[in-house]
This record gives sequence, structure tokens and C-alpha cells, in this order.
Amino acid sequence: MHHFVPDFDTDDDYVNTNNNNSSLNHLPRKSITTMGEDDDDLMELLWQNGQVVVQNQRLHNNNTKKPSSSSFPTKLLQPPIPPSMDNHQQQQQPSSDQNLFIQEDEMTSWLHYPLRDDDFCSDLLFSAAPTPPCATSHVVTAVRPPVPVPSSSNESRPPVRNFMNFSRLRGDFSNGRGESGPKTIVRESTQVSPSATPSSAAASESGLTRRTDGTDSSAGLNRKGKAVAMTAPAIEITGTSSSVVSKSEIEPEKTNFDDKKRKEREATTEEAECRSEETKQARGSTTSTKRSRAAEVHNLSERKRRDRINERMKALQELIPRCNKSDKASMLDEAIEYMKSLQLQIQVMSMGCGMMPMMYPGMQQYMPHMAMRMGMNQPLPPPSFMPFPNMLAAQRPLPTQTQMGGSTPQYPVHASDPSRVFVPNQQYDPTSGQPQYPGYMDPYQQFRGLHPTQPPQFQNQATSYPSSSRVSSTKESDDQGNHKTG
Amino acid sequence: MSNRRSRQSSSAPRISDDQMIDLVTKLRQILPEIGQRRRSDKVSASKVLQETCNYIRNLNREVDNLSERLSQLLESVDEDSPEAAVIRSLLM
Repeated sequence: MHHFVPDFDTDDDYVNTNNNNSSLNHLPRKSITTMGEDDDDLMELLWQNGQVVVQNQRLHNNNTKKPSSSSFPTKLLQPPIPPSMDNHQQQQQPSSDQNLFIQEDEMTSWLHYPLRDDDFCSDLLFSAAPTPPCATSHVVTAVRPPVPVPSSSNESRPPVRNFMNFSRLRGDFSNGRGESGPKTIVRESTQVSPSATPSSAAASESGLTRRTDGTDSSAGLNRKGKAVAMTAPAIEITGTSSSVVSKSEIEPEKTNFDDKKRKEREATTEEAECRSEETKQARGSTTSTKRSRAAEVHNLSERKRRDRINERMKALQELIPRCNKSDKASMLDEAIEYMKSLQLQIQVMSMGCGMMPMMYPGMQQYMPHMAMRMGMNQPLPPPSFMPFPNMLAAQRPLPTQTQMGGSTPQYPVHASDPSRVFVPNQQYDPTSGQPQYPGYMDPYQQFRGLHPTQPPQFQNQATSYPSSSRVSSTKESDDQGNHKTG
Repeated sequence: MSNRRSRQSSSAPRISDDQMIDLVTKLRQILPEIGQRRRSDKVSASKVLQETCNYIRNLNREVDNLSERLSQLLESVDEDSPEAAVIRSLLM
């Protein structure tokens, strides 16, 4: 059973060039998984004597590409060694152990391979220049299929380095579970990444590491917070951090545009923290150190919170159209207005959608009725918040300019054009006497200052919420021109 | 107040707490869910901002859906009829 299908497409080149075993070249790609007992087609990756030996009892008839790629290291390690096929048949006995081994989670079983022997990796890395990256990429991609292999091959050195560190780390736990593996990988990969990323400052690296250690749970990784951001840059840079990437996938957008800034901020903040902590400890006084450390912790958490808020604000700013405000407060104001306008628009449109099919019959009687209801009782029936007259009034293409006094038209606001009130002809006549009609034309007018449940007012008040004033204004608003003031 | 805003702004995290509280309160009043369910002092600003973003996205999606429905309705209606005009106005 193939638990994962890594994309070993790029292996083909290497397979063809390096693999002296021509038969392996024909093997199509298949998962590296080796549930030997299940499938005839499966290969078994066995760790034999410090080498990955692809035990393939059925290799000849089999078409697993994986064996070919996995046999790379074998070949690299022992060039004179005959194709792994020969080894496979020879080493059947340990296969049982290996099978057990392999039956674990793919990640673990895969990870175990570099565990045994660092030389394996080193040989991998240095024996053949083109192959190690490919092999490592294969290996890594086996763990994390979505990682684009070309990207890893592009940066040959960092992935190789990452792999090296992987091997060193994995040596710690001989029977490490898959779950703990990723965590350790994460932690270590962030340590690795600094070395891989020439741009990272030393302090930032230590800070990154420290931060990751502080949040060293997979849950922490999944948080929309520093951990992901911390590891994400490392991942992006190295390109082959397998498990971390799988977790950071959750936060793709955040990491993409926020991690850079966050990294820089973190770098600077971490440097300052390192220095300050060092100085405090140098004093030798425990209480002051404790206090300062507590203060540092508090500052850290405060900074984290601030960063989170800033990140959300940026996201919000991107959502709001035509938002050119750098000021947070005004931006939030705009966000509020925009939300209200959207709510209004949706209400209008949904009502229109619902009413449209019914407009054919008896429309004339319908709308005046609605209009009158609108005018008379301020607490409107909820569904007909925006009554028909609004739709009728908006028959003309509405200019986007608004007569609102102070507020700038930022959204496609229908201007409360007094003349527009009477443009809707026959339908309007029965209701022309209604003072509220002009107000209905502008669905966006209301968001300026109205509570959503209030009836629309042609008279636009920028941020006036109280309904009483509006009620009075509508009553006296026979000449709409005067009441366009904001 | 405006001076303080202009001084503090420009993406600096030194916005006044009172400002944030006011705005967050306003947002919570609008947001249909968490702002009205939870106790006022429990919700963090970041959570409110997140809810706002989500809500705006939802609203945008709703608008798109409604626009699509309206345009479909428009196709079903005769041209030059009042209904068509109304629908067109709604769509704009």
C-alpha cells in the first residue's frame, strides 16, 4: 500500500545517469513506502549495514520507481556494489525486522534511514554532486510530497545541509515516533536554517531558535503566530524542511507577506533581548534578574500581541477597497463604514432577488404600500428594510458622487440626487408625496451614520447614529436639496 | 485626539489604547457573532480584527452571489422593462 506518493519525476535524470542498473530505470514512480508484506509491487527499503538497500524480491517484475531513487544512496555509498537488486535477495533475514520497522508511519520509517549512519549522508552529500541534492530531495519529498522538487534542486547546498542535520538529529532517537519526529525536525531545522540562510544574522538565528524552542509543540507550530512565521522563513529558504512545511502549509498567506517583516522585527527584537538578558545576568543579582526577565517576558508577549494585531490590521486594510489610510484609527473607521455598506447592499440585493419574481403582478400597489410603511413607522419590518422604492428610485445609473457633506465617496455610493426621486415615473407617482423616497435611493447613504435597522434617509449624516434626528429630518425633507448637507 | 492619531500612526504600534477599545467596541457591535455573544472584556483586539476580516470576506462573497442571482434574473426578464431597470440598478 502506498501511503504517499512523492514526486520523483526529477529522479529520472539521475536514475538514467547514475543508475547502472538499467532495469531500475524502467520502474515507474511509486511511493517509497514499503509495506512489503502487502503488495507484490512494493519495494522494501532496508537499512543494511549502514546503507539503504532496496530489498525487492519482485524487483524485476516490479515497477516501483522508488526503489530506484532509494537505491541511489546505496549506489553512491558503494559504487562497486552491484545493483541493489542483488542485495535484496541476499538480505532477506533482516527484512522481517525492517518490515516491522518500515511498517511504521512512513515518515518515521523514512527518517530512520539516515539515523544509522552519518556517513551515509556525508557520502550522499559529497560523493556525487548532482545526485545528493536529488536524493535528498527525494528523501525529503518522500516525507513531504508537496514540496516542489525543482525548488530543492535549485538550491543544492541548503537542502543538502538540511539533510545532514536531519541525519544528525535523527541519530538521537533510534525508534523515534513519527509524531515526535516532526517536532524535533522543526526545532532543529530552524537551527539548521540559519546556517543555510546566509542572510540571517547570528542573533536572529539564535532568536529564531529560541523562539521555536519556546513554542516547541506541534500545536505551537500550528498557531497563527510566531512559531509558524519563524519556521516558515526557514522553510522557504531551505526549501526542503519537510515536516515543518507540512505544518506551515496551514498558514501560507500569513507567512508569505508577514514573515519577512516579522523576521526582521524578530531579528532586531531578539538581538535586543539577547543583549539585555546577557547584561542582566551579568549583574548577578537574582531578584533584579528575575524581575527583568519577567519584564522581558511581558514585553515579549506584548510585542507578540502587537504584532498579531498589526498583522490583522494589514489584512483588513487589504480587504477594504480604496483604503489609503495609514492611520489605524481612520482605517478602522473605514472598515466599519465599509462593513455597514456591504450589509446594506446585501440586504437590498437580497430583497430585490426575493421580490423580483413577484414584481410583475400588482407592483404598483406593492411599492406604495412599502413606501408608506417605510415612512410612517420607523421600526421597519425587518425583511423589508430597503423597500421597493429604493429599487425604483435607482433606475437611473447612479452617479457615484455623493452629496454627503464631509465624507468622501469611497464606495460606489448612490448619490442622493433630488431629481432622481422623480425620475422613476409612474411607479413613483403614487408615492411622490412620500418624503422618504429620496432617501431610499441611496443604499449606501445609510451606512454613513445609520444603524442598519433604521430606515434609509436621503439626508446624509456622516456618522450620526441617533435616529430621532433622522426621523425629524425626513418629515421635513420635502425639498431634498437642502438636506444634502452632511 | 486627531493630533495624537497623526503622531502615532503610520503603522507604528503605538496607537492609543482608548482608541483601540473604542473601535473594537464599534466593530463588535457590528459583527454578528462573537462581538455580541461574549462578554466585552474577553475578546481581544486581534480576535475582533480577525472576525472583521472574515466578516468582510463573507459579505463580499454574499454580494457576489447576489449579483450573480440578480444577473440571472435579469436575463429572465424582458429588456426595457421596469424590472430589468431595477435589477440593473441593483447590480451597479
